[in-house]
Amino acid sequence: MIAPKQITVTIDGQKCVGDEGQTVLQIATANHIYIPTLCYLKHLSSWGGCRMCIVEIAGSPKVVPSCATPAVDGTNYSANNDRLRQLRRLTLELLFSERNHICPFCPTNHGDCELQQQGYRHGMDSVRYPYLYPALPVDTSGEYFALDHNRCILCTRCVRVCDEIEGVHTLDVAFRGEKNRVVVDLNGTFGASDTCTNCGACVAACPTGALFDKAAAFRGKLNTCQVVRTTCTECPVGCGLLVFTKENRIVEVFGDHDSKVSLGHLCARGRYETWAVPRERIVQPMIRTIHALKPVSWQQALREIARIRGKLDATQTALLVSPRITNEAAKAVARVAARFGKVGMFVARDESALCEAGTGALEGTNSLSNADAIIVLGAQPSRTHGVLAAKIRNAVRRRRAKLLVFHAHKSDLDQHADICANIVSLEHVFWDRVAEALKNVKRPALVYGAAAMTPIGVTVMARLIQILESNPSRHAPVLIPLPTSTNSQAVAAAGVEPVEDVAPWLDAQPLQYLHIIASDEPDGGARLFEEKPVRVLLERIDCVVVQASYQSELTEAARIVLPAAMWSEKSGTVTNIEGRELPLQSVLTPRGEAREDARILGELVS
Amino acid sequence: MSDKPKIRVATAWLGGCSGCHMSFLDLDERLIELSKLVELTASPITDVKEIPEVDVGIVEGAVCTDENEHVLRTMRARCKVLVAIGDCAVTGNIPALRNQFLLEDVVARGFIETESTQIGEMPNDPVVPRLLKRVRPIHELVKVDAYIPGCPPDADTIWYALTELLAGRAPNWDERTFSYD
Repeated sequence: MIAPKQITVTIDGQKCVGDEGQTVLQIATANHIYIPTLCYLKHLSSWGGCRMCIVEIAGSPKVVPSCATPAVDGTNYSANNDRLRQLRRLTLELLFSERNHICPFCPTNHGDCELQQQGYRHGMDSVRYPYLYPALPVDTSGEYFALDHNRCILCTRCVRVCDEIEGVHTLDVAFRGEKNRVVVDLNGTFGASDTCTNCGACVAACPTGALFDKAAAFRGKLNTCQVVRTTCTECPVGCGLLVFTKENRIVEVFGDHDSKVSLGHLCARGRYETWAVPRERIVQPMIRTIHALKPVSWQQALREIARIRGKLDATQTALLVSPRITNEAAKAVARVAARFGKVGMFVARDESALCEAGTGALEGTNSLSNADAIIVLGAQPSRTHGVLAAKIRNAVRRRRAKLLVFHAHKSDLDQHADICANIVSLEHVFWDRVAEALKNVKRPALVYGAAAMTPIGVTVMARLIQILESNPSRHAPVLIPLPTSTNSQAVAAAGVEPVEDVAPWLDAQPLQYLHIIASDEPDGGARLFEEKPVRVLLERIDCVVVQASYQSELTEAARIVLPAAMWSEKSGTVTNIEGRELPLQSVLTPRGEAREDARILGELVS
Repeated sequence: MSDKPKIRVATAWLGGCSGCHMSFLDLDERLIELSKLVELTASPITDVKEIPEVDVGIVEGAVCTDENEHVLRTMRARCKVLVAIGDCAVTGNIPALRNQFLLEDVVARGFIETESTQIGEMPNDPVVPRLLKRVRPIHELVKVDAYIPGCPPDADTIWYALTELLAGRAPNWDERTFSYD
């Protein structure tokens, strides 16, 4: 790439160097000159609508929005003076008078509101325009967040983030003049929207209280919260989280813009499901009596396990772990493996080959932002790996990358695809079309899930790679394997055998003792025990110990239940699909008597 | 004690919760210092109703009724400097929420339709102040010389504003000195 030409401008009397093509605002910010903004967000396109970032150009009577004005070499700009300050205050007064911005009962009151902050900064002690008091609705039908039009300043940050980052364009603006409003779909509601993915990026982008998270509203001001950087463990993409806590509870979760994987974006699973959905937590060890599970101390529980195991031969025992455990817990599992007859990790159907195939290319997820053709084979990223799906949608919608989807199940990526076909019904003519579509492709990426590991999937994948390599350009695709479970590849790499079908694995030899580390799987991992009801599966085993964060079918079938730390209480590392070792930082102290998986394992065998 | 004549102050409480007056009392021991400089005349605190000629008038609350308007106009006529204290006086705040609805609907909701009301009746005694169609911040009716926003402004904010005003300066508001809540 050719380096952009350097330019020099003067802003508020200070010589500033920047690149040609950069806006006045970008150069000012890089040179530590503050210009107030409202509608501008660094990672979105500039809109120039709010007029807070206006600057003066020497020799011109007009003021221009610095976020949308490219800097011109040698020009002298004024970014802060009394005239600009007055104009900005007038802009703020117009914004405040237009709708019902009444601070005392707003969820983003207390320093989380950029409009309020700008009011303070500009000494706006009163509004000289008459207030309009429009009667505006509030849409609280959404699952996780609400839209209060009374607080909206029409900055369109939500609209742009929905279009440019999540790539679904659920939000837009409609109607004219003072009736201008942000709308969901075709003037619908969040609750009824089938395009909204609940990613919550709009809420994170909102500068006021117009879009707010229901679970975070009125639970503490964010600027007085502790902020911890950690990694999302809901899927193997490994997005960065910023977790805001107060008094050992989570107030809000936002995407971490410093994350090399997600660049600040999140999907509904990472943003909300882990904390905004109530789940029945296990807070102390329990032993089953005739009637029910009875709370006991850790010492009693461990002694009972030792007593039962003492009477058994190692071959009569087994350890079954969740793929959600940390790398450290996986190592602890490997260390105690010899004490058990066998050790396995439960994974989804057809996923064991994917686990053992190893992780994909480093920068694999970001290569999607650069790819000119993306092939999705036997995976459903829009359902299970939302951030990856957003990257794919953007590559297609914004850069016209080709998208070929070979699926076993329909997904909403299909609508964006150039070619979309069921993996099992491919004919000869069809492959000609694929070859035509992939001709002259230079930067292909291949995202493949468990269904690519079935016999037909393997054939399709081989054919695709052959097509790409027989291209005149001969560019091998960036391979992005996409298991559904969080850390399955690293746990497999630590030497734990993936088990797709739990029933035959359990039945292979008569077991007297089964220890299940369900970790913080939302349903205890029971969904992965596909074939038979869990109870039937486990009733033949004399003693089932379940180590889990949440109550589930598994704990109902257990004789002994051990409380395990959940994602926000763990520290250690997880490995994502690109092979990055990402840090997990404990955010909260474990609830009740819950302990981390690795520690429990250590105490079991000591 | 100095012989300098004290600055005469009156305060009024219009459509608001009296929180700003409470916050004023939160000045605590600073009230003693203030009393050396000012003489508090008519005020909900002194319970003196008739507003005399004063140097500074301080008004809390939005203009919700004809009586509020009368008091406000009287205050304006009899004071040299008028100060709006609190968000209700400055922006309309909570009382102004009813501006989104028709006055008849608001009154009916309050006096007839309330869940605990069995036989409701619209208040119509001539001594009861009439509600205005719209609640308004005081500067929409009269000229205001200084604003102290906040719901309520805390004692430190009030102290800063009063000491600045007594020193003949306008308060210099920025993100450190005031808030809207």
